[in-house]
Amino acid sequence: MKRPKLSGDKRAITPVLSSLLLMVVAVAAMAIATTATYVITSNLRETMSERVIMEDLWFNTQDGSINIYVRNVGKVAIHVSSVYMNNTPQSFAKPFDLDVGGHRWLNITRNWAPEDLYYVDVVTSRGTHVGDYFKAP
Amino acid sequence: MLSRVGGLTLETISKRLRLDKRGVSNVIVAMLSLVLVVIISANVIIWSSQMSHYDWEKTQEKIEIVSAQTGRNGALFTVNNKGSLTAHVVSLWVIDSTQHKRYDVDIFINSGENSTYTRMDINLPSEDFLIKIITERGNMAILSQS
Repeated sequence: MKRPKLSGDKRAITPVLSSLLLMVVAVAAMAIATTATYVITSNLRETMSERVIMEDLWFNTQDGSINIYVRNVGKVAIHVSSVYMNNTPQSFAKPFDLDVGGHRWLNITRNWAPEDLYYVDVVTSRGTHVGDYFKAP
Repeated sequence: MLSRVGGLTLETISKRLRLDKRGVSNVIVAMLSLVLVVIISANVIIWSSQMSHYDWEKTQEKIEIVSAQTGRNGALFTVNNKGSLTAHVVSLWVIDSTQHKRYDVDIFINSGENSTYTRMDINLPSEDFLIKIITERGNMAILSQS
């Protein structure tokens, strides 16, 4: 029986190679596109997953400061970047991170008057706001 | 027997379609784009629905502090879960005119359950005070006591 001679036959190799290369390029392009999509939408997902609460706000009569206790009840770590009182930015010790379930005091040095109403707004770096009205004692 | 369509037999048409490769790449590009759009949409929708479910759970949680009193073994708190989900209490506050004290707690209260919690290290103030509890989902219950 005569065997077909394959080693010297180069016909149809170019179409196979081109198809293979095309497939590799297509798969690579899809992988890059999917990764890029994941990266681009990750910020959106993280912003959607942020939940912060103010557990307590204390108008401290001893040192005249205002102490806010914040808790991260969301699904991602947050970075508390700003605090506003009556729409005025307040300076506090240092912007800080809060892991999922994390909680801590946030101390503001600001004069406050008894019986006055204050709107306190805590803002994260992704733009999530948590605000409420508090009446000084 | 093949019928004739506009002067051409179906056999001729199918042969032409088999040989004609024009437009195939367009179809592939369209399909890949469609897959990409579906992946993006699914990704965003899944996350959005997860957080919606989380927010829905938060609205379903309803807890109430029934009483807070000083007992033989320290402060005694009774908390009632009126919601349809198990509540996980993570913080307890004792607030009076001079201090806001926070205590770490870890109590799970089943739906409809009345739970009693005792803390030896908490001294309830003798004057007017507030008791506040916070759940893991971010809800709170407040009791004003004289």
